[in-house]
Amino acid sequence: MAPLIEVHDLRFRYPLAKAPILDGLSLVIGEGERVAILAPNAAGKTTLARWLAGHLPDGALKAESGFVAMEGRNWSEWDVAERAAAIQFVGQVPSQQLSGCAFTVYEEIAFGPCNLALPEAEVRRRVDEAMVVCNLAHLANRDPFTLSGGEQQRLSIAAALAMHPRVLVLDEPTSNLDPESRDDLIAQIDKLPGGLTIIVLEVALRPSLALANRFLLLDGGRIVADGTAGEVLNDPRCIEALGMTSIAAAMAGLRDAGAWPGDKALPLTLAEARASLGVQHARG
Amino acid sequence: MASLTKKKSDKPSLLYTAGESFLHRANPLTSLCLLLWMLSAAIVLPTEGTATLTLAAIAVALVTGVGKKALKRLLITMVPIGIALTVVHGLLIDRQDFAALGPVQISASGLDYGLRVFMRVACMLMATLLFVTTTHPADMLKALDQRGVPAGIGYLIASPLLLIEPFTERARGIRDAQRVRGLNLTGSWKARAAALPVLLVPLITLALSDLDHRASVLSGRAFRAKPHRTVINAPPDSTLQIWVRRLLLLLAVLQLGLPLLWRL
Repeated sequence: MAPLIEVHDLRFRYPLAKAPILDGLSLVIGEGERVAILAPNAAGKTTLARWLAGHLPDGALKAESGFVAMEGRNWSEWDVAERAAAIQFVGQVPSQQLSGCAFTVYEEIAFGPCNLALPEAEVRRRVDEAMVVCNLAHLANRDPFTLSGGEQQRLSIAAALAMHPRVLVLDEPTSNLDPESRDDLIAQIDKLPGGLTIIVLEVALRPSLALANRFLLLDGGRIVADGTAGEVLNDPRCIEALGMTSIAAAMAGLRDAGAWPGDKALPLTLAEARASLGVQHARG
Repeated sequence: MASLTKKKSDKPSLLYTAGESFLHRANPLTSLCLLLWMLSAAIVLPTEGTATLTLAAIAVALVTGVGKKALKRLLITMVPIGIALTVVHGLLIDRQDFAALGPVQISASGLDYGLRVFMRVACMLMATLLFVTTTHPADMLKALDQRGVPAGIGYLIASPLLLIEPFTERARGIRDAQRVRGLNLTGSWKARAAALPVLLVPLITLALSDLDHRASVLSGRAFRAKPHRTVINAPPDSTLQIWVRRLLLLLAVLQLGLPLLWRL
């Protein structure tokens, strides 16, 4: 898989902070990958997300060393329009993702493509397409600020998709949502076009398991584990930092009671647990 | 051209009322020029002129279906102003023509001056109400975009209108949270004044934090990355409207400029 985004030995410290939040972090993400970067709170997820999305460096916020590049070009070499068409970022707080310049959902999604000065027909095509993908067509004429948190987050993703980016960076996209909205959003993200590179930064294991096929653990300002869900989520460092999935925790209880082999990896999802136990899922 | 107002989001903070009248269908820049002409006329016309213009604007508001909303605002604003002008200019300011009217001394020239100011303000307010009740800000932004006005100016117009409700909601949330923590907002004026910093500091801090996020969102969506934006659902325009705008602007300038030249 060809490398798309490369982070080279990135060391970054906020002004007045004693220690760097990112400390020699290196990472390569390939085109079309679905990557979950897991980390506990205050480990630098949002900072890394902003670097990956090209929002940093910004003014006085500069790296002490290293850089982030897309297709071999440092972000500082990209102009605003070029970068916006290549990568999109969706943050944690839904209402903060709105442009503040659109009176309807339709206009909010069209805001970015209009800024790129695309032909009107192309703007309409992109907006319609994004509304279908994110299930927003019935809300097209609503005021974005009156939507629920889940709907606003779907709107943010639709607005990002309308830019036709190659990479979508999602910083804890479900953290401010109720369980129903969270499951709904995960299902929507899961349906996004296959060629799109998705980077999800999460503290919660459940959404990451549903969205990614490559998992990285961010700890102490560096990537300390990189692999499949089974490799990373059963890693003691990951368990120490994030805890276990509820299924793995239950199976660990069985293991401690002697009902599960101690040398066998713990299942992470219900489907894996069923398969490991040889239980058939009753349907209908 | 189909109405632009059919698919508008209704925001309580906007005075705009959807409709199909000639003012609703007019290009927003034409409505803006009409507003400018009325404002300049209100500055130079005598009391009879401003009264006539105000009545005409009220009649237009009634015809265009925005009369109820516009009149309500006009009354709410003008009644206190009228009372204040009567008291200050009719009763309080010392003039030569004070005459006894029962227990009070009243000045006819003071009342005349008060009426002139009152009608001038009423005329300006009615013109503005007519504009904001028949022109949706989204259409105004599109019209400005169409004319190549920098996107930043459009943003300055739109964002206060859009953000006022979330901001109010947040202020309410902070107030409720502080009350739960024991803040007393029902005591004396002194106690209420002392409580203000506890309400304002988090509100301002959060607003500043929002600014940073909003700047990132705008940059991420390529705001101002190109000299011109695409305009979708552009407001209709015509040669006639272009000439009407030119005429209104010319009249506005002449109305204001000729009296100045006359004085020179």
